[in-house]
Amino acid sequence: MHGWIGKILRVDLSTGKITKEALDPVMARDYIGARGLGTKFMIDEVDPAVDPLSPQNKLIFVPGPLTGTYAPSGGRYNVVTKGPLTGAIAAANSGGTWGAAFKFAGYDALIFEGKAAKPVYLWIKDQAVELRDAQHMWGKNILGTSDAIRAETDDDAKIACIGKAGENLVLFAAIMNDLHRAAGRSGVGAVMGSKNLKAVAVVGTNGVTTADNAAFEKIVLQARDKIQKHPVGGTGLRLYGTDVLTNILNEVGGYPVKNFQDGYFPTADKLGGETLAKTLLKRPKGCFSCIISCGRVTKVTNKKYAGEGEGPEYESSWGFGGDCLIDNLDAVTKANYICNENGMDTITMAATIACAMELYEMGLITKAETGGLAVEWGNAEVMVELTRLTAMGEGFGKKLAVGSYRLAESYGHPELSMSVKKQEMPAYDSRAIQGIGLNFATANCGAAHVRGYTIAPEVLGTPMKVDKDAVDGKPALVIQFQNLTAALDSTGGCLFTTFGIGAPEYAGMLSALTGVEYTPEAFMNCGERIWNMERQFNLAAGLTAKDDALPPRLTKEPLKTGASKGSVSRVPEMLPVYYELRGWDANGVPTQAKLAALGLAQ
Amino acid sequence: MAKMLMINADKCTGCHNCELACSMFHQGDFSPGTSRVHVFTWEVEGFSVPMMCQHCRDAPCVSVCTPVALTRDPDTGWVNLDEDKCIGCKMCVQACPFGDAIWDEKLKKILKCDNCGGDPQCAKFCPTQAIEWVDDQVATRMRKRGFAEKFKQAFSE
Amino acid sequence: MKVKYFAILRDITKKKEEDWPEPEATVGDLIRDLVVRYGHAFERWVMKDGDLWALVIILVNGHDVRNLKRFATALSPDDVVVIFPPMGGG
Repeated sequence: MHGWIGKILRVDLSTGKITKEALDPVMARDYIGARGLGTKFMIDEVDPAVDPLSPQNKLIFVPGPLTGTYAPSGGRYNVVTKGPLTGAIAAANSGGTWGAAFKFAGYDALIFEGKAAKPVYLWIKDQAVELRDAQHMWGKNILGTSDAIRAETDDDAKIACIGKAGENLVLFAAIMNDLHRAAGRSGVGAVMGSKNLKAVAVVGTNGVTTADNAAFEKIVLQARDKIQKHPVGGTGLRLYGTDVLTNILNEVGGYPVKNFQDGYFPTADKLGGETLAKTLLKRPKGCFSCIISCGRVTKVTNKKYAGEGEGPEYESSWGFGGDCLIDNLDAVTKANYICNENGMDTITMAATIACAMELYEMGLITKAETGGLAVEWGNAEVMVELTRLTAMGEGFGKKLAVGSYRLAESYGHPELSMSVKKQEMPAYDSRAIQGIGLNFATANCGAAHVRGYTIAPEVLGTPMKVDKDAVDGKPALVIQFQNLTAALDSTGGCLFTTFGIGAPEYAGMLSALTGVEYTPEAFMNCGERIWNMERQFNLAAGLTAKDDALPPRLTKEPLKTGASKGSVSRVPEMLPVYYELRGWDANGVPTQAKLAALGLAQ
Repeated sequence: MAKMLMINADKCTGCHNCELACSMFHQGDFSPGTSRVHVFTWEVEGFSVPMMCQHCRDAPCVSVCTPVALTRDPDTGWVNLDEDKCIGCKMCVQACPFGDAIWDEKLKKILKCDNCGGDPQCAKFCPTQAIEWVDDQVATRMRKRGFAEKFKQAFSE
Repeated sequence: MKVKYFAILRDITKKKEEDWPEPEATVGDLIRDLVVRYGHAFERWVMKDGDLWALVIILVNGHDVRNLKRFATALSPDDVVVIFPPMGGG
């Protein structure tokens, strides 16, 4: 095989048994890799009704065929499992260099089953694979874990691991690799912790081959050129990072403020990418084979919030910033560092704090419970402290560890959790931008912007400009973006390459690399297949059309200020059209005809 | 004027495209283990540097090479390795102060940058010009100019 | 009228925003006068082949001119015009 290695690594943590299996080439062709391949293993091997934190859940680390090659920004991997935060299929996507190292070790996927009796880590050096005792590292943070493992294995080992948050089963715990990159959402880190698995360390000294070196080089150079000529991927993201979106969203009135009570923040500029570049930014950073370099190497010297690391990204800057009514970039960046250092998803952490701020304002959360902390809008110090407490599993942090939905529900107000399928929405107000709202409502992993980033056409105007307030045509647009993204996520490629390239280039790269012929249509078809397979898993897990809904605030409470004031989200009228265009019935269930057309068994 | 690979470490993002291009050109696959350029990344500080053979004028590897497999071409200035003459004694690995001569146990040979015969792939694939193929005198003048500009900024209105 | 600049346009104009007292009938008129003031460095981030670059975000009171009348969009003296060069995504 080319691109793919052809080998799956399976580790039963309950028995300690490690086996190697062949990768079925038909499965590889139809599901590509990463998100698609991981989800296929899940639906074939795991009962969707399983308790996510039980030994019956599986945890799958899986790069794509492009990972390890010089496909531009093509070095990613996914962690696929059933998410404890959502009870739905979860595929967390991460960059850095871990995925490539795993391919060079000689594997396409790593499937963890069961639960270890005591904390362990997996050490992979090419063909040599062993489980090792991790009891002496349990409790260490991401840096401490990485240093300890390298001291025992290899200075060059690439490490994916959890911190205390994963060990304590924080429902939004993340798995971190390369210290600062996160497989962030849906609580994949908690699944890892529930299995007593502390880390996976890899050294890979082999390679990835292509079917046609010359053809692959040619199409890669063409793809690189298109990405570099596009101002967003070629210049903007390297200069300003994703945080440049702060002012853009704010000026169109779609920057959610105070737990989505409104959509405009007068001092948002203090949090934006321009300010970040002038104050905290040291240099840009790229993942494996990346040509975009959106990563931010930063440092905070302000003594109160001192630290260094990477970030904040736009979502994190928004969450700890405007969503909590805070405009102190130092504090926001510190909270981001705490999440990275201990392995937590920044979006859920921040949105949970914002929800807590609203509950505190209503008098439902009191100082008696918070250990005297005033959980007030705009209180940067308390926001940072709550993040730290959650990471450490102390004080009120223990209550925040369940995420905003279960927190709000415990106070009798689940509607104040700004989430879909219990996963918190990121930094775009669905009342100001109609299409993204539909994407949030229907994404299989819960609310997530990266599953169908219609912000690109609706706000940025790329690849073409559509009216953000229009509803006509949005269901079709959302579906197209969701299908393309599902296929792209499965190759190991980075979504930011879509500022420049799309299905034709990905089909061309896959064909030249693997020797398996993909047309652009076949590529998109893979995406649709993967999307429907995720839907099947969720339906079997007990989710229904009722879960394809935004919180009532967005459909009933119009925005009060900013450029989009007076608007509400019209997801309820778009949803039936979406179901129909997807080939699903009125309850959002894929029809037999649709499943058959995609080659999905019922 | 001869050409050289200029390392601009401040521009390196740690993407490893150089290693992939190098191994693809020389070995026909993507195996950074067989690359002649290596990128070193300090994860905590987020700093990366690519390193490859510097083609020294007074090359220690040439001095110690008994079968004269390593020689310096006076016209190009490159230190070239004749693989047919190499006996794999690894004296060059020990002599090079930069660590840029590498013994690969799998391939059973010495790996050393050869400038890809004049079209270095690492410079071609580097997305940020952290590695540049430039005239060796222009290279230093570019850096001087960069700093001179700071004076201009300091003294202009 | 107020004009607000973002991303690289801040470095080019050396401002975050400015009051623009000259009357401008349309967005096109305003951009033309801004190009006169700030030169080619500004123009290359806003114009392409003599027309508004499709990737530039120009908002008039928060509304994207690409969904209005692009350069022909009318302007009033109290309007706030915001200009983003194509830099962002994520």
